[in-house]
Amino acid sequence: MALIGKFLLAGLIGLLIGLGVTFAALRHGVGFGAVEAGPWTAWPKVGAANIDPYLRAALTRSGEIPLGASEGISFLARRDSAGRRLDGACDYTVSGQTPQARYWTLTAMTPDGRLFATPARRNGFTSSEILRAADGGFTIALSTNARPGNWLPLVYRKDFILVLRLYENEFSAGALAFEPANLPMIVKGFCR
Amino acid sequence: MSGLDRFAAGLLWCLGVLCVAGIVHILAVFNLPKLERAEPLVRIAALTNRSDMTLLPHAAPGAEWAPFSDPALAQGACLFDLAHGPMRLSGDIEGDKMLTLSFRTPAGDIFYSMTDRAAQRGGIDVLVLTPEQLETLEAETDEDEPPPRELRLVAPTTKGFVLVNALAAFPSQRTEAEQRVKAISCEPETVAQ
Repeated sequence: MALIGKFLLAGLIGLLIGLGVTFAALRHGVGFGAVEAGPWTAWPKVGAANIDPYLRAALTRSGEIPLGASEGISFLARRDSAGRRLDGACDYTVSGQTPQARYWTLTAMTPDGRLFATPARRNGFTSSEILRAADGGFTIALSTNARPGNWLPLVYRKDFILVLRLYENEFSAGALAFEPANLPMIVKGFCR
Repeated sequence: MSGLDRFAAGLLWCLGVLCVAGIVHILAVFNLPKLERAEPLVRIAALTNRSDMTLLPHAAPGAEWAPFSDPALAQGACLFDLAHGPMRLSGDIEGDKMLTLSFRTPAGDIFYSMTDRAAQRGGIDVLVLTPEQLETLEAETDEDEPPPRELRLVAPTTKGFVLVNALAAFPSQRTEAEQRVKAISCEPETVAQ
């Protein structure tokens, strides 16, 4: 009897550990061929035909419908360039360059990928509508208060993430190492 | 029982626990997509149950059909079921406006993706078929005939869906982007007897 109890206990502990490890792995997205460049993370394999079971399970959890490899690639930033969590109570500037692509879009979202309802009805910019400096670089001001130039409104005290999508980027995403210098910097400004 | 025996027994139990944990982990990772009832095909089918191109709702705050959707895109989808024959996706491409297509299995795996830059002679013409249908088609074709104009795409699953994205570079171009999505048609191919 005691032996059966031990077997049951071992099975139960094993079950809990197994589920716990699965949950933690999917939550943190460890591995999965993630490519990091500064504050940005991309999962180039997500749009490939040979997607691995971990990535597929992670997509099931998040509900995301990713872009195909030939369509483009998405970069996600949950933190600024200094490694601090993005917070709607602060101002940020996103500036610099983007890797070569036919178009790109930058979108502010909730941490689980929903859009914010902002009075200005703007959730992001496309590369066509952005105002650029003479050298082709750009600066986007993220703030709850209106800003001149490229202003992306935030919602006060709501955590947010930034999604940068490169459509038809020049390289094959699978074998690509992205240089942090080729991606925009996210710099924190004044906090309220 | 000596100390060594106890140690060996404890080690065996631990190995057993690890074994169970490993099996549970692998099973969970492989079966989670099935358990969650969140299969992309099921979610798309809830928005459209016809086989022709249907516009998906515009990603607006509180009304996104899928999280992490780009609000600058106009999106459309068509479902395919190759059980009764191949599916032909075709449409004219105008100018240099970006249009991207992805061909997906019910689980959402992308087996092919392309953009309007891959269009030939101003249009897109893709025939999605099963390996058996491709064999039949090739067996029927004369070797002297010129190579087919369409792209023949073998689907790994009988059912699936095609997702079409058109970028509205400016908010004012949304209607026009939706028109470009609707200009792509998906039709079951009538098989010549």
